[in-house]
Amino acid sequence: MEEPSKFERYVYKNASVYHYMKISLVLENGNQNITDAQFKQLIICGLRDLYGEVGASFPFDLLKFDQNELTGILRVYNSGLVKLWSALTLLGSYQNEACAFRVTQVSPFLLALSGNSRELRFGDQLIS
Amino acid sequence: MSPELEKCPRSLLVCEKSNFLNEKSRHDIHVSKHNFNYKISVLIPDCEALPANISSAFHSFSSYYLVRELPVYQLLEETFIESHVKKGNFYALSYNTKIDEENTIALLSSGQLILSLDKDTYEQLGLEGRPSLYNHKKAMRFVVTLDLTDKSLTPGTKRYQRVLSSLKDRLPLRYDFLLTKYNTGSDEDQTLIKLLSQYSYEEHKPAFSHHTLKNIPCPTLYPSDIQGKTLSCDPHHFLEWLGAVNLDISCENAADSFLSTYVCPEPQSSVSQALLCTVTGFISPENVFVLLQELRQYIDEPKFTPWISLTVHGFMDSPVSWGATEHGFLKGGENLYNFVCFKNQDYWLHMATGAQDGCPP
Repeated sequence: MEEPSKFERYVYKNASVYHYMKISLVLENGNQNITDAQFKQLIICGLRDLYGEVGASFPFDLLKFDQNELTGILRVYNSGLVKLWSALTLLGSYQNEACAFRVTQVSPFLLALSGNSRELRFGDQLIS
Repeated sequence: MSPELEKCPRSLLVCEKSNFLNEKSRHDIHVSKHNFNYKISVLIPDCEALPANISSAFHSFSSYYLVRELPVYQLLEETFIESHVKKGNFYALSYNTKIDEENTIALLSSGQLILSLDKDTYEQLGLEGRPSLYNHKKAMRFVVTLDLTDKSLTPGTKRYQRVLSSLKDRLPLRYDFLLTKYNTGSDEDQTLIKLLSQYSYEEHKPAFSHHTLKNIPCPTLYPSDIQGKTLSCDPHHFLEWLGAVNLDISCENAADSFLSTYVCPEPQSSVSQALLCTVTGFISPENVFVLLQELRQYIDEPKFTPWISLTVHGFMDSPVSWGATEHGFLKGGENLYNFVCFKNQDYWLHMATGAQDGCPP
């Protein structure tokens, strides 16, 4: 058993290397069968269209993908957040069909994505 | 490529290390000052079944009420102040009001009523306040703080009459509110219900769920190394891993995988089972403290469990984070804290906030 430790306090400012985004894809004609690889490829194409090969050459991770809801969680380096977010905003079509990405939540902490108080809803609540 | 594109909002992470038995330990203050709690999650590695004392702690959480269209002046009514506000342990927060777009009202346990208002509402209401700390170039948001326990706001005084008439006649603000009171006696609940019965209200119990995770990689943590320099993993990586566990994200990806390269931080070990419990609702800090005590008792008993993690998420749209420190929503409104409890009653406390937040205490 270790001895009880003394008090220590550290403050980290902007020390999180990544930002995390919870997004969902909305298709005009309802859900299609999109795999996780196709979902990620769609985002990469959107990035390339907006920023070119060099501008889009930063990695991001698709940490989780729900095929039924077409929602995903992305992880991107801080320097790529603005580019990724803007590419998602301006992405308008998938296989010639109109679509839109909705960004539900963005945070420098992945843990914060698991507790979004804006999702607190009650039985008879209309989704606003 | 323009360097402006590579900027991102600032974030703060405060890491504290101490021992629960240390008399100067501030764990109780940190918990009690974080007024509005939305979700609590507990992760216990090497645990299969929900322990009885922890289950009963969760089920003893106080109910909360959702009141529709409650006029804000009602929170200043004399009987309300006497029977609830002055006694403390009473919390109220306007429901479904986005702090970056609309007005938000909050009542803290200390008796402070905080109104975070947009410019038009502030000017029409005519109460004394100050501009928000997080205004950009023009002041578009103002914060009015009323201390309902202060002598100058005792019912009957001129100032009280002025404030009451502003909220009642000049600009009657009405919002849906979430209310909760830490249970100390059932008769106090009755007076609250009598007040609420004039409006449409529902009582809710915080929603509890739990499940067991099998065969997961788990970071190794040593209480003495909170910064993750030698024996433990880095605090950011640890919190990221906790997020991955809560969100059911796979931690076993190859480094050259197309989809995700996320892996559990080193040093790590494999754990055959872990228990994850969550409870969501409008939860008072006193309930969190009771749960923390039960978790401390659980880990004190001889077990395989090396540490327990307790995560508490605040409300994104709350006008305050800890105490009366102003909180805002820029691209996110996170204000969360996480305890890691160890066997010798050592603990780590991580407090994380986003861009529009003061430094956690």
